[in-house]
Order: sequence, then structure tokens, then C-alpha cells
Amino acid sequence: MLSIKNLQVSVEEKPILKGLNLEVKPGEIHAIMGPNGSGKSTLAHVLSGREGYSVDSGSAHYKGLDLLDMAPEIRAREGMFLAFQYPIEIPGVNNTSFLKKALNEIRKHRGEEELDAIDFLGLIKQQMKLVEMKADLLKRPVNQGFSGGEKKRNEILQMAVLNPTLAILDETDSGLDIDALRIVAGGVNKLRSADNAFVVITHYQRLLDYIVPDFVHVLSDGQIIKSGTKELALELEERGYDWLIEKAESQV
Amino acid sequence: MAQIRNNFSEWINQQVGTTSTFAFSDALRTPSLSRLAAGVFPTRKDEEWKYTPLSNLLDTSPAEDTSAALDLESIEGLKQAMPDAHTIVFVNGEYSADYSDKLEHLGSSGLSISHLSQLEGNALQLAEDTILESTLTDDNIFQHIALGLSQNGLFIEVEKNVESETPLHIIHVSTAHGVSAFTNPVNVIRLAENSHLKIVEQYASIGEAAVITVPAGYIQLDDGAGLDYYRVSIENAETNHVCNTSVRVSGSGTFKSHQYLLGSKLTRSNLEVGFTGPGGEAVLRGVYLGDENQHLDVRTYLDHAQPHCSSDQHFRGILNGQARGVFNGLVLVREQAQKTDAQQSNKNLLLSRDARVDTKPQLEIFADDVKCAHGATVGELDSDALFYLQSRGIDKKDAALMLTRAFAAEVTQEIDIASLQAYVQSKIAASLDEIVTPNV
Repeated sequence: MLSIKNLQVSVEEKPILKGLNLEVKPGEIHAIMGPNGSGKSTLAHVLSGREGYSVDSGSAHYKGLDLLDMAPEIRAREGMFLAFQYPIEIPGVNNTSFLKKALNEIRKHRGEEELDAIDFLGLIKQQMKLVEMKADLLKRPVNQGFSGGEKKRNEILQMAVLNPTLAILDETDSGLDIDALRIVAGGVNKLRSADNAFVVITHYQRLLDYIVPDFVHVLSDGQIIKSGTKELALELEERGYDWLIEKAESQV
Repeated sequence: MAQIRNNFSEWINQQVGTTSTFAFSDALRTPSLSRLAAGVFPTRKDEEWKYTPLSNLLDTSPAEDTSAALDLESIEGLKQAMPDAHTIVFVNGEYSADYSDKLEHLGSSGLSISHLSQLEGNALQLAEDTILESTLTDDNIFQHIALGLSQNGLFIEVEKNVESETPLHIIHVSTAHGVSAFTNPVNVIRLAENSHLKIVEQYASIGEAAVITVPAGYIQLDDGAGLDYYRVSIENAETNHVCNTSVRVSGSGTFKSHQYLLGSKLTRSNLEVGFTGPGGEAVLRGVYLGDENQHLDVRTYLDHAQPHCSSDQHFRGILNGQARGVFNGLVLVREQAQKTDAQQSNKNLLLSRDARVDTKPQLEIFADDVKCAHGATVGELDSDALFYLQSRGIDKKDAALMLTRAFAAEVTQEIDIASLQAYVQSKIAASLDEIVTPNV
């Protein structure tokens, strides 16, 4: 589903990703962990098509398509979703009409009929239960005046409604209390299936108590220095990142 | 056949010398005509006109234009904004009985509407007083043009304690078909104690005539009265429009104003509000949306001469192409105006490199116990917000449209007449649809 080969990315001529490889298959959950500054968010941004990143070398293919050559909206229409670390507040744009527009753009792209207001409301009400979100947040402008937890739930709500094939969660756990974390993770768990995949980017192990990954990768200085199963996350929790980083450096 | 002259100033002189049939208030007209005879239009050396060149207007001599005649369909289109209103239509500045609702039917409801030219006795005196007492700025030549040359106008009165439920919709449409391309309606509005009224004034053109529009409005609100006053200007790209509105709010009256400047080559809107009793309130809103070489200038002057009054201003500009916007708002808080609450905000969105805005919110405070704030911003579309929308499957043009519409909607959402809100929002959306490109 997602195949990243030797990806090298720089920001303002400073190399951030230095040859990253990753293979994600349908039905899998991959966790990417790593210390601050290791390139975790850069990876999420490059995959979603944000401007300001220069791809110097390597490739990223999604469902066989050259991902790096696609506009951000096309990636979304092809079934990719990025849950933002810092969801953007958009004054004046109603949360419901925004999400309806987004869903219908994706449905059009797939050759499906657009949903009318009534069908859409039916769908969104159902999905809101999943993230235990208050109904009045739908009437407000996108993320405006939402608490940190409400913003993250709104991301998961969007994910549930748009029903992506590949979802990238960029530090979705940051700034969440334990209840919100449980709800957000519960949303992800209900959405997972044999046909879709998740890449969960996180600094801390605790999210992985709730979203159990199939694979854990440690990102350091722009490269994956170790991959393993969920036990690796537990080991990181106990020992931190330093021992791995030192080990990786000694191997160079 | 009207004689075509070279410029506006000469044309004005010619009008001054012509006998007018308009009988309203010689007391006001005579001094205005002498002022006009003396000529002299402001230049950009005048601080008041620093950002707004009048050269195009002054080079225009109002002439006939045959590009389009009036038709019923166009009028019906304009009425869409307010299907449930009393409608009054002016064509080329002249009252049109054919297109207007019958004014005399309104009398029993406590709302009365008369032609200024037919006023006499006490009513004439009241209209003259309203004009003199509401005017704050001396020697404004465009007010003299309105008072000296106007052929038409309305005196709108609401009786004490009357809630006038049905809004008034005043449509000014210009074609310049068979007449000079010049229009200067004068409206005098007086609301007695605790009465309420909503007025929507709409300016539109049919055809491409280079019309000069110089309207003037004079408004007096007595104690506890409330006026919601909406102006929607969507004139063609050749029109020059300079309007003046003077408002006097006597104790605990509420003046709410919305202005939507969506057309014309040049618009200069001057709105002045004076508080003459404690407890008055003014809420001023507006959006100016310009493209190509349009020049849109909004000027407000709030004279807080009394304590416990509040004013709240919020104007937004969207400018594309080489369009230029000006916001110049002065809030004067006099020494005796303690407990004044004055807020002023002007936000601008520039969609092109060559668009420009000059914003000058000003506070002059002489009282010491007041709550005043002002702010202005000029910016581009938020690239983070654009990306967020794109990342959800919305293409860049649609995302930019959503953001620019939302920017205007922060003001239009406060229009509390549903049909008018839908009309204004659809006109803004239609303009934005043309000017917002995927490359923003």
C-alpha cells in the first residue's frame, strides 16, 4: 500500500530525512517513534503534500502511484488522511459544511454519488458517537475555540467520516489527557480493518497501550535505526532512545 | 440632447445656473448653490482625500447613454434581495411610481414616506432641522451637490413607539437612458422615541454608463429609537459613487449600519455619527470587495460627545488585481464623554501582489474613564488553512474560495434579514468565484 524507498528530504537546504525506507501493507498498524527532531513530523508532512519540503532523492509510492507527484487534495481523494499534530482553526468555515464538502469531493473522485444534507447528517451523527463529541462542535467554525482534546477528536471524526485507506496520525496523543487518549484510540481501533492501514507517529509509548501496533520503527536523525514488534515500544519506554542511538552511531 | 462637456466641475456649474423644479428647502439649497458656484473640488493634498484620487470622477461629464434601457426583469432581479419589503424604486435619481409600492398605503402603520419636494409647514421644518442637526462636517462639497442639485428624495418618518415590522427597500437604479448620467438622491429619516425601522438601500446599474452617484442621507434617532440601515452598492465598473450619511443619535437610540461595497470604479462612503445624549449605541459593519482598478474608500467619523455611549465598528476588505481599498475611521471621545465604549476593527485580505490597502483607524480621546480599542490587519490567505482544507480533498481554488467567503461571512453573518443575507453572500460569492484563481 505504501512503499517508501531511500527518501531524502531537506528543509531550507538542511537535510532532515536521510534515506528512509518503509513498507506498509493493508491491515497493518505501524508506529513510528523517535526523539524530538528526528524527522517524524517531516515524514508526515511530506507524505501529505505540504509545501516547503524538498525531496532530494528516493521515492514514495501509494497504491502504486507516485505519491510525491500528487497534489495534496488528490492524495486525500485517493484515500490518504493526515491527522494533524496541530489542527488548524478556520474562522468562518462551518465544521459540518467543510466535512460534507470534503467527503463529497472524495466520493466524486471515486465515481460515487454525492451525499445530500440529510444523508450526510445521518452519517456524521453515527460517527460522532465513536469519538464522543458534543453535537454543538459541528455547528462551530472548524476547530475554532475547540480545546486541545476537542481538536484531536475532530481529527478522528474527520477520519471516520472520510474513511481513508491509509491514515497517518501525527502525534495525535500530544496534549491529550488519558480519557481523551482512550477515546481517540478507541476511534482508530473501530476503524481498523483488513483493507486499511495506519501509520501512528508518536513520541511516547503510552498511545501504543491503546492502539496496538504490528510494527514499531525508531526514527533517529532522519533514518529508521531499528524496527521491531510492539515489544520494542515497551523497551523504549523503559530505556529511552539513547542506547539505540548510540548503538546506531557506533555501527556507522 | 444634452450637451457633452469636458468635465464634472463645468457640468456642475451649468447645473447651478439652470432653474430647478425641485422645491425642497430654499433655506438649504441657496447656500449650497453658492458654495457650488465657487467650485473647488478637493485634491490629494487635502488630508481627507490623501488616498483617494478624484481625477477620474472630475474628468467625467455626465452624459446620456443608450447602452441599456430599464426593463421589468432587471427590477424584479433587484427586488429579490428583499421580497417581503415595501419597495421604492428610483430610476436615474427619479422616483418611479410604476415600479414602487404605493406609499400612501403605509401611513396607517405609523410609518410615513413623503417626497421632500412636497413637504411644507412643520414637516418641512422637521426635515430641515434633521439635515442641519445631523451634519457634523462642514464644507463637504459632495453634500452641497446633494442639497443644491437634488431633484428627488424622501422624508421617512416613524411615529413614537411604532415598531415598523416590514423593512423598506429603496432601490436606486441607473441607466442614464435619455437623461444625464448623474444621480443624487437625498433621504431624510427621522425616528421618534422608541420607534424602530429597517431600511435597505440598494444601488445598481443597468448597462455600462459612466454614472456619477452622489447620494446624501440625514438620519435622526430620538430616545430609544432603533434604525437598522443597510446599504448594498453593486454598480457597474464605470460608476463613480460618493455618498455621505450623517446620523444623530439622541440618548439611548441605536443605529446599526451595514455597508456592502461590491461594485463601481470608485466609491467613497462617508458615514458620520454623533451622539447627542447619554446611552446611545452605534454598530457599524461593512465589506468592500474590489478587483482590477477599483478604488473603494470607507470613512467613518464617530463623535462621542456624550457619556455612556458605545460604538462598535468592524470593516473588512478583500482586494484583488490592482484594486485599492481605504479605511479611515476616526473616533473622537470628548472630555465629557466618560464611560465611552468604542471599538474599531479593520481587516483586509489582499489576493494579489498589486492590490493595496491604506488603513487608518484613529482614536482621539479626551476623557479619562473610557474603554477604547482599535486595530487593523492586512494579510494574505492563510497557507496553513489552505493546506488543511486541501489535505481533506478540497482543491486549492475551492479552498481559497471557502476561506475568502468565510472572511467576508464574519461580517455578513450579522445581517439579520435572511433574504438580504443570502443575497449579499451570493453576490460576494459570485465576485469571488471570478477573482479567486488556483494560484492564489
